[in-house]
Amino acid sequence: MASEAAGRRPITVSETLRQLRTQGGDYGGVWSWIVTVDHKRIGILYGVTAFVFFLFGGLEAMVLRLQLSNPDGIGVNADQFNRLFTMHGTTMIFLVVMPLSAAFFNLLIPLMIGARDVAFPRLNAFSYWVFLAGGIFMNVSFFTGGNIFAGELGAPDAGWFGYAPLSLRGDTGIDYWALGLLILGVSSMAGGFNFAVTILNMRAPGMALLRMPLFVWMTLATAFLIIFAMPIITVALFQLLFDRLFDANFFNVAAGGNPLLWQHMFWLFGHPEVYILILPAMGIVSEVLPAFSRKPLFGYPFVVFSGIAIAFMSWSVWAHHMYTTGLGTVANSAFGMSTLLIAVPTGVKIFNWLGTLWGGSIRFKTPLYFSIGFISMFVIGGLTGIMHSIVPADYQQQDTYFVVAHFHQVLFGGAIFGLFAGIYYWFPKFTGRLLHEGWGKAHFWLMFIGFNITFQPMMILGLLGMPRRISSYPDGFGWNLWNMVATLGAFTIALSILLFIINVIISLRSKERVGPDPWDGRTLEWSLPSPVPPYNFAQIPTVKARDDFWHQKYVEDQAGRPVPVVADGAQGAPANEHDGSEEDHEVHIHMPSPSIFPLIAALGLPIIAAGLIYDYALVAVGAAVLMVGIYAWALEPPTE
Amino acid sequence: MRSVESGRLAVSPWLGIGLLVGLVIILAGCGVDTPQNTFAAEGDVAEKQKDLFNLTLWPAIAIFILVEGLLVYALVRFRHRPGNEGLPKQVHGNTKLEITWTILPAILMLALAVPTIAGIIDLGRPPAKDALQVTVTGFQWNWIIEYEEYTDADGNPLRVIGTCSTNCAELHVPVGREVAVYLESSDVLHSFWIPRLAGKLDAVPGRTNVTWFNAVNPGTYQGQCAEFCGLGHAEMRISVVAQSQEEFEAWVQEQLGGDLTTNAGDGEEGLAEANTARSKE
Repeated sequence: MASEAAGRRPITVSETLRQLRTQGGDYGGVWSWIVTVDHKRIGILYGVTAFVFFLFGGLEAMVLRLQLSNPDGIGVNADQFNRLFTMHGTTMIFLVVMPLSAAFFNLLIPLMIGARDVAFPRLNAFSYWVFLAGGIFMNVSFFTGGNIFAGELGAPDAGWFGYAPLSLRGDTGIDYWALGLLILGVSSMAGGFNFAVTILNMRAPGMALLRMPLFVWMTLATAFLIIFAMPIITVALFQLLFDRLFDANFFNVAAGGNPLLWQHMFWLFGHPEVYILILPAMGIVSEVLPAFSRKPLFGYPFVVFSGIAIAFMSWSVWAHHMYTTGLGTVANSAFGMSTLLIAVPTGVKIFNWLGTLWGGSIRFKTPLYFSIGFISMFVIGGLTGIMHSIVPADYQQQDTYFVVAHFHQVLFGGAIFGLFAGIYYWFPKFTGRLLHEGWGKAHFWLMFIGFNITFQPMMILGLLGMPRRISSYPDGFGWNLWNMVATLGAFTIALSILLFIINVIISLRSKERVGPDPWDGRTLEWSLPSPVPPYNFAQIPTVKARDDFWHQKYVEDQAGRPVPVVADGAQGAPANEHDGSEEDHEVHIHMPSPSIFPLIAALGLPIIAAGLIYDYALVAVGAAVLMVGIYAWALEPPTE
Repeated sequence: MRSVESGRLAVSPWLGIGLLVGLVIILAGCGVDTPQNTFAAEGDVAEKQKDLFNLTLWPAIAIFILVEGLLVYALVRFRHRPGNEGLPKQVHGNTKLEITWTILPAILMLALAVPTIAGIIDLGRPPAKDALQVTVTGFQWNWIIEYEEYTDADGNPLRVIGTCSTNCAELHVPVGREVAVYLESSDVLHSFWIPRLAGKLDAVPGRTNVTWFNAVNPGTYQGQCAEFCGLGHAEMRISVVAQSQEEFEAWVQEQLGGDLTTNAGDGEEGLAEANTARSKE
């Protein structure tokens, strides 16, 4: 693909733009989405798919909450309950928060660093299709239990953590779970490498590392966490599958295996995973707060390095999930201390966000609301995390609803609020339309109130001795009231999500269009038209400062007060507002060619996985599909 | 209008504080029965764990109020006011502040580490020599309790097998005497937890985890398996019946059919033998 331009006259920007405009007719229809390698479209696919899974996971949560609303339940039996909570956790982590973060990586990273696409556009498409295949594969397991309409659910039933030896005993649901996670791991790894390479190699001239927007930094940290964490769970899942499918004995005690091996492997992956889930949301909040405070991020280098510190330290705290397994006093002390210390960089971030708001001129738009929701709820998650690192106290809290409350405080109060802030903030960039403010604020308040009345009562439940993962509980333990409150809260959250869906529909149908820069943004993506054209930048920008686009619009006077740049002033006009027509640089806009083969290759993986469960012959079929996909992908000539 | 909006944001900390107050009221024991309340400690271990929890609860509430207070103050104080269209001063940071809010939390965390580690070592000590030796074995889905100190006519230790379809396991112990628990599992992971007496410890197949606890007052204390173990997890209950030495011995007599033999004194050897016997099974 690189050599084809060698013998030809390089075409100019204006010619390319003309060509792309005439191709506009091709840039539509379902087929164009199936073969797309455009990072923005892949981002939208990721986002929409993850949102659909969010509704699945939410539905599962609603059934769980209804069952627990009173001691008698609603007739969900223990078997159904176990399968539903396993799928709720697995779905929300691997099919919702991770891919929603990936949606933002895809949509934003090339725009923020001034690139035309990611480093490996087809690998990017492959990541998405593998994610979709893995998600569907995982959920198909619901149908393997018999007649699903008679309540005979398939699906894994050993929890999202799949502790051995229980996970050695379950039915095929667990195979679906383990193989599904392996498939999703391929997707995450491909994405992790793609974004690490993109950020390190594809930055526009002048975009030094310490000029990168915070979201780009957090994506880089997340990408490296993914690259190092996914192989660990991959190994663990292989061991589990070998035990299950081929009678290996990694976790089989009778044959000398060790069930704690699984826990070490799982949490050595699982704790960095928590930061894979939260760092992108932290990055989003670090972009939204400056835009609506109209000030730069307070303490930029400290926020960057505290994020990196969190990423490093996340490798040293895994055994705080295992205080009660009998690791001994020395191990428990060491992991207690490392867990206490990870609170320090987390606190630095929170204080810098407060510093960003401080002295600002805060505009109360919906993205800001969700960012404030993030900070105020994440603080509780952090503080309860500190309480868990007090090891002897944790002997009481481990595996109770106190822990359930804690991590929802982090992953819902944190990650989900942060991701919604991002959706409201960047929605206009990719649709050309703002989400409606009134519906947005109603969504926020309902979700915020619903969140608090769902998860704060769970803290009380945990302290009153209610363990997790129980499908029913006896009357007379003082748990009835708080469980009912939590259930009402869960339905309030569900209602808020309905408001969000209505908001998206009415906003997309609205005829009101928005300009390139509705929020007076600071980063490069706001210099581009909304929606962003396929080629992103007509001309690759040259970056001269952190928050480069802001500096094109404003300069700071001696006192540090910003003054708008006069259009023809001495400071020079914004450098990016070319429509290309007056430019005749000999620049060739190289656009990656669409391809069906990433999808074909991705299809091979679930076939292989199904083969491991049902018939090894299918493994060969799946492998053949995968190989055909990869070879055709490699050998396909560019269409340009 | 905007000030009304920012005023409403103040709901956030007040809701949290309100719930914490509600929690304190509930935990004070008003009204409903809470047989697994971790705050109603009736054993030395649970007492220590509760104290450590309270030790962190108050700094946590203080930090919570500080951060949420600053947040709400900033939102109200620095809200955009109509007519003031100018941009605020572009402050990029403050190194002194950064150092302060790095060092101070680090000191606080290290301060918390001291009682934490002291507590870990304190609770992690081996059981006292004169403790009542009990082997508790988790299975799907209840517990087997064996008292090596007391054997029947054939020399087998007193053994209580709980089955929750009939009677969930009852662990009888004398009030005030330390109980050494040797925790095992015959199938999957379980976790032994009597909230008002002691926090939990996992029963891990293939190993014996050791812990100890006591009950300072007579009574029946509820507990349940705290590690997910499959279909019967929710019903896998256990209770500890703490009674006077006389009542306890009478119970043992009853269990053994009137034939009480005490092995006290060679408890550890007895345990070792019992373990060997079991591993041969």
